[in-house]
Amino acid sequence: MTGRLFLNAFVALTAAFLVLPILAIVPAAFSAQSFIRLPPDAWSLRWWGTFFNDVSWRVTLLASLKVAAFTTLISVVAGTAAALGIARSGPRARRLLTSLFLGPVVTPAIVLAVALYSMARATGLVGTTMALVIAHTMLALPFVVLNVGVSLDGLDRRLLLAAAGLGAGDFHIFRTVTLPLIAPGVVGGAVFAFVTSFDEVVLSIFLAGPTVKTLPVRIWEEIRLAYTPVVAVGATVMLVLALGAASANRLLSRK
Amino acid sequence: MSTVQFAGISKAFGGVAALHPTDLDIPQGEFLTLLGPSGSGKTTLLNICAGYLAPSAGRLVVGGRDITALPPRQRKMGMVFQNYALFPHMSVAENVAYGLTVRRLSRDEIARRVAEVLKMTQLEGYGERAIRELSGGQQQRVALARAMVIQPDILLMDEPLGALDRQLRKEVQFEIRRLHRASPRTTIYVTHDQEEALVMSDRIAVMRAGRIVQLGSGADLYERPVDTFVARFLGESNLLEGTVDAVLDGHATLGVPGFAQPLEGRAATGLRAGGAASALLRPEAVRAQAGGLQARVAERVYLGELIAVRLMLASGHELWSRRLANEWSGRDVVEIGWDASAISILPDAS
Repeated sequence: MTGRLFLNAFVALTAAFLVLPILAIVPAAFSAQSFIRLPPDAWSLRWWGTFFNDVSWRVTLLASLKVAAFTTLISVVAGTAAALGIARSGPRARRLLTSLFLGPVVTPAIVLAVALYSMARATGLVGTTMALVIAHTMLALPFVVLNVGVSLDGLDRRLLLAAAGLGAGDFHIFRTVTLPLIAPGVVGGAVFAFVTSFDEVVLSIFLAGPTVKTLPVRIWEEIRLAYTPVVAVGATVMLVLALGAASANRLLSRK
Repeated sequence: MSTVQFAGISKAFGGVAALHPTDLDIPQGEFLTLLGPSGSGKTTLLNICAGYLAPSAGRLVVGGRDITALPPRQRKMGMVFQNYALFPHMSVAENVAYGLTVRRLSRDEIARRVAEVLKMTQLEGYGERAIRELSGGQQQRVALARAMVIQPDILLMDEPLGALDRQLRKEVQFEIRRLHRASPRTTIYVTHDQEEALVMSDRIAVMRAGRIVQLGSGADLYERPVDTFVARFLGESNLLEGTVDAVLDGHATLGVPGFAQPLEGRAATGLRAGGAASALLRPEAVRAQAGGLQARVAERVYLGELIAVRLMLASGHELWSRRLANEWSGRDVVEIGWDASAISILPDAS
């Protein structure tokens, strides 16, 4: 009995440890003061006004959404194709290709950042949307490959044989049988790709420029100048979008 | 609908022969069953026919045309898979219509043919159902409908009844037989169940270890098996091992240790004097006969209209008898016999 009590308390503490920092930032965004203090002495929406009225914040939010959208699109198309290829290859090629595609996840971000920065400088891409999209795609692609790969493992190969036997060509089979059945994996991969891009900081700091800058980079810059609750507003906006994407995924995959 | 000819078809996986070179001619409209235990090569042969496997050697000729290199989608064959392989994200009607939409038929034509085949397979009114809402028997019929709606040249079935319970299996067997009789279409049916094979087939090819051991009607196989493997695989059998005394004019005599007289019977091919062989005596041929061999009743198994009796002979041999329930009295020691024509002398399967 006491053992069970102890276990429950431990679980509750762990959960609090994970969730509290996230929850702490939300009240800070509704503060009336010019600095972050928890809990705020007075409440207001003034920093939300500041955030959405300031062109520089709006532009970075839009840039973040744009980069995340392109990243998601490219990762989903390329990652699904890669997963299909991996599923078709023999066991040895399969292991090799899987570790190759998962490489960027295990490589330290700072190593990738330095490498990408030097290449972006050489090609004059620093500070462009394209540089950010390329960098984010490197990080997002493995999640699509993984998610779609898991869905493909669960796909009954005989369904494809049955479709072929009924006269369908490869692309028709992909469109009418494979894709609908791996859709949960594709959607899951897309959500991961979007979130990965949306809150990526390290590569973005290196590759962003004065004109193109994502929201996390802007928050990081702001926090070094002034520790105002507008930073908390930016963070809350990110939190809402990430949670929104994750719940959309849950809803879609439950169907 | 077409004739099918396998000419020297073989298949090896990584140097191991799954199918030895096989010749098999199937006339148009025949229902042929490939019968054998797992690993006998029957599914390999079926998959080669469907185009899912490329043979290592040999040719496949359908309706006079060599289709060995043709991909599955150009073969016009309808396949019913073990566990059906129905598309889980489509309704019954969408599953059945799949092969027709691929062929870009008109909406009306598709609707008409789907309705027709659903009626034929007793699935009227189920068109809008999801696959997971159907019972096993209904799923089996959807699989059959999906294969038949494209009016295939050849219908292929891979143990399609394996997942059904016994009662349902019987019903579906007769259903498939009825559909085949109504419009005979060349059909290749794979099973390890002898009863299925006997109920539905025009001819049965018994397979073992990658070869067709015997090809013939159910009666051929049951009454004139080529060896002890076929005898064991179709029906119940008593096999008495012995040594061939003589072979003459399709008859042979077999000396069986413990029997005063050699057993005489129809000889299968491949026997030679002095070689080992077995005498086949079907249980239904073993009957009570006054003045016959003495035997002790070791076990009685009630089977409804029949009774199976295990008889121990003085020689130490054991014989099963299956006769009408009233034939064996309650006595423990009986005298038994059989018609001389009931015995076949068969080579032992190597």
